Amino acid sequence: MSKSYLRYFLNKLAWLLVTAVFAFILNFTLPRLMPGDPVAAITARIAQGMSNTTGMKEVYERYAEQFGTNKPIHEQFLIYMKNILQGNFGTSFSQYPRPVADIIRASIVWTIALQFPAIIVGWIIGNALGAMAAYLKKGFDKVLMPISIFVSNFPAFGMAIILMVIFAVNLKWFPTSGGYGYNLIPNFSWEFIWSVIVHYQLPFWSIVLIIIGGQAIGMRSMSIYELNADYVKYARFLGIKDRVIVRYVFRNAMLPQITGLALSIGTMVSGALVAEIVFSYPGLGYTMLNGVMGQDYPLISAVTLIITIMTLIANFLIEILYGIIDPRIKAAQAEEQGG
Amino acid sequence: MKRLTWFLSALLMLSMLLASCAPAATPTAAPAEPTAAPTQAPQEEPTKAPEVQPTKELSAAEIAAALPRKETLYFNGQQWGPVVCWNPYSSSCNNAMAISQGDNARVTMFETPYLYNMLDGKQYPLLADGPWSWNDAMTEITFKIKPAARWSDGTPVTAEDVAYTWYAHVKYNTSTGASNKDYIEAIEAVDPQTVVIKAKLDADGKAVNPLIVAAYVSSNYVLQKAWTQKLEERTGGDPAKFLTDPAEDVVYSGPYHKFYTDETKVVLVRDDNYWGKDPSMWGKLPAPKYLAHVIFKDNAAGTTALKAGEVDVSQQFNSNVQDLWLKDGLPISTYLPEPPYNIGASLPTAFYNLRSYGLDQVAVRKAIAIAVDYDTIVANAMTNQSATFKQVPRSLMNPTPGEQALYDREAVKSLQWEGNDIEGAKKLLDEAGIVDTDGDGWREYNGKKLQYVATCPNGWSDWQAAIEVVAAAGKKIGIDITTNYPEWSVYQTVVTNWPLPETGYDIFMMWSAGAGPTMPWGRIRNLLSSEFAETTNNWTGNWGGYKNPEVDELIKKIPTMTDQEEIKKAYTRLVEIYLTDVPSFTLMYRPQSFHTVYEGVWTNFPHQGDGTNPPVPPLNLTDGWSIAGLYNLKLVNP
Repeated sequence: MSKSYLRYFLNKLAWLLVTAVFAFILNFTLPRLMPGDPVAAITARIAQGMSNTTGMKEVYERYAEQFGTNKPIHEQFLIYMKNILQGNFGTSFSQYPRPVADIIRASIVWTIALQFPAIIVGWIIGNALGAMAAYLKKGFDKVLMPISIFVSNFPAFGMAIILMVIFAVNLKWFPTSGGYGYNLIPNFSWEFIWSVIVHYQLPFWSIVLIIIGGQAIGMRSMSIYELNADYVKYARFLGIKDRVIVRYVFRNAMLPQITGLALSIGTMVSGALVAEIVFSYPGLGYTMLNGVMGQDYPLISAVTLIITIMTLIANFLIEILYGIIDPRIKAAQAEEQGG
Repeated sequence: MKRLTWFLSALLMLSMLLASCAPAATPTAAPAEPTAAPTQAPQEEPTKAPEVQPTKELSAAEIAAALPRKETLYFNGQQWGPVVCWNPYSSSCNNAMAISQGDNARVTMFETPYLYNMLDGKQYPLLADGPWSWNDAMTEITFKIKPAARWSDGTPVTAEDVAYTWYAHVKYNTSTGASNKDYIEAIEAVDPQTVVIKAKLDADGKAVNPLIVAAYVSSNYVLQKAWTQKLEERTGGDPAKFLTDPAEDVVYSGPYHKFYTDETKVVLVRDDNYWGKDPSMWGKLPAPKYLAHVIFKDNAAGTTALKAGEVDVSQQFNSNVQDLWLKDGLPISTYLPEPPYNIGASLPTAFYNLRSYGLDQVAVRKAIAIAVDYDTIVANAMTNQSATFKQVPRSLMNPTPGEQALYDREAVKSLQWEGNDIEGAKKLLDEAGIVDTDGDGWREYNGKKLQYVATCPNGWSDWQAAIEVVAAAGKKIGIDITTNYPEWSVYQTVVTNWPLPETGYDIFMMWSAGAGPTMPWGRIRNLLSSEFAETTNNWTGNWGGYKNPEVDELIKKIPTMTDQEEIKKAYTRLVEIYLTDVPSFTLMYRPQSFHTVYEGVWTNFPHQGDGTNPPVPPLNLTDGWSIAGLYNLKLVNP
């Protein structure tokens, strides 16, 4: 590793740490700045049917004490930090007394299993189509472009509902809701696995279709830009073969797309909210929405913390990789060293 | 080649990313909160979440890959999120299929001594043997426990269990304890079969509130003493731990218990040794072997499943429910064949903030209330699933025949309004001198324009539709009412804590109590009693701050009255005051539970005039006496 690269690496690492610290503080503070009182919501549930106001005051105070919401915010922050360092995300407010860790564990696999393949498949197909449109032009581009624009601008809930109405309600090819058959209990049988696969299709494609559109548009314009760049003209002028040129072009056009991919993987934990709601599919997105609605500070903080960490790491890795592969960044390093 | 390297490096990067997720996620697997119970088994196989482990007691042979459709009764509308725990002392288990105490307690897994029937207002023995009785001074209730009653571990249910349950409720200040300890002095076991409930006495040696004491026997579960002591032992007497214990090992007396739960469903399975098959109770087992509830994310998803025949008992608002059989021709029905389809039990109500400018004036309050077009609310917000105020004139009573008979309709007839009375409202305001003096189209009171915000929680679509109608009524009579819909988390914090803000909450919607053994007294107390006026942490009622000593006096006296005529007179007077002072006004009637059934698999559900005696109420075959319906179910194609 060259000295300049080491400097670049340390520089990025320092920024990562600084960002992480600020993100951590924001993760804690922002949810708590929302108006309203989450302990009141818990009291509301517990106090249902209670008509004794002193009793309710006791209940309220007991929970305020337990959650520490009656303490000054800096004290709450210290407690929170201590717990997080011990790997303890605390107890959820909205699903009290369930531990936040338990909630996330129960839903995160569904979310990742839905989002990760959808993002990858959507990304690969989208980029391939985009690149082809840029390169082939003419008819292919004329058809693909409008479709891509149309699909990528489709509101996600609209896509999900259209798929549901066509394929589940009318054609009855796929079920309307759930992660697996309404009459099944999870077990290792073909019936169950098949049911999971069948239930997976509509939520999956409702996400993939939208990603394809967006990626295709991005990749197409990047590729067209690169195809018209001076170095391509120069290479053509030198008589370099098309195949070789295309390789250069896509390598350059790909860079921003990779960044986008890393970011969407970093944020995928926040869930495919719309698909989850429309298809009553299990996952973290809806849990998170409920957490926000119910001001579930520990749950919001935990999920946003995971998102933050994943995004930061994804970004960091990309910058490190760029440092190695992107000649422009290499050049910048060299300049810095020179200056 | 280079391109391939590129893709390979991209793949490598992805795998690194994934690997980097792992450390971030690992802490979630660490032992959580210290308050979590020691018995909570750490979940194995965190990476294989869809295959969450079924209940451990089940033998391999019992694990059904699929629930047989003809042995399973499917529900919706009760469970809206994953189950948190099985602890019947806790109020926060979010375990609607198994735990729900109250006026119509859910008795699938845990049982109450008596079952309340909202249709005839009576309490029928379940764990209890025969009716309960007051002593002559009306200070003590005595009842016996059925000799046949057994816990799931085979031991008999005894009076000692009833007494210890109460002891634990008080000791750990559960919501049952907190809400009853001002009225119940003690619950004691005289002998293994005999229970005595001693009422708290006032200065004159009379029970403070005999109604609440009598309601206890059908509202609260009996829990096993031995198990409760076990729970106390492992939680070391710490109330927080006691109430947050997940209680997977809980001993129960009811016909069903946990079979399977995860993020998507809850399934209860029948206990074929259930004591209730004894001839002294039901004489047989309930028909469905499984009670299953898929967790839907919203009403629309629940309705779609109902249409697909994947739900048998729908306890949710299905918009335009009649379309399901009239247009779609599905074998779906409601308790009543015609509108309002259900028996109304609670009265969603608009409260006035009596401190808002001008709303201290009866004329303004009444004018807005009589101008509101209730028929539109019933038709739009409730899609006709509420009785109209022509069918059931407004009072403080719900539409059940029992409550309607408790007041003298003729005596208050001149005060009842059906709504949309724009001219009447204008006249009322004109006579009170509240007119538009500056010609801007809006009326002024003492020179200040009458301007209000009507509100309810965001996303509660039927309520929002109703609030829009209220605002429209204001515009028609020259009072500027705008609407605003804060999130529930904010809304509930504001309306339950006096003082209300100066603006934004002038007219706001909240609920009222439904059907139960203390009703309509309890509902009237919640709506009008000054004990709740201008208080904080008020989840009960009278959020607008209404105070009237005569009302307080009547509310205090009614529970101790025994003469029916005297009671009727008191209720009539309360209705008269309510309709005169208008501190709040009912916007619609709402059923205790929505109750729509699919008869493609099961049939013989409770319907009006189905010949059951006592009549089975439309409460989803799980609540109070409606559980009797589970024993009547038959298969369409056996």
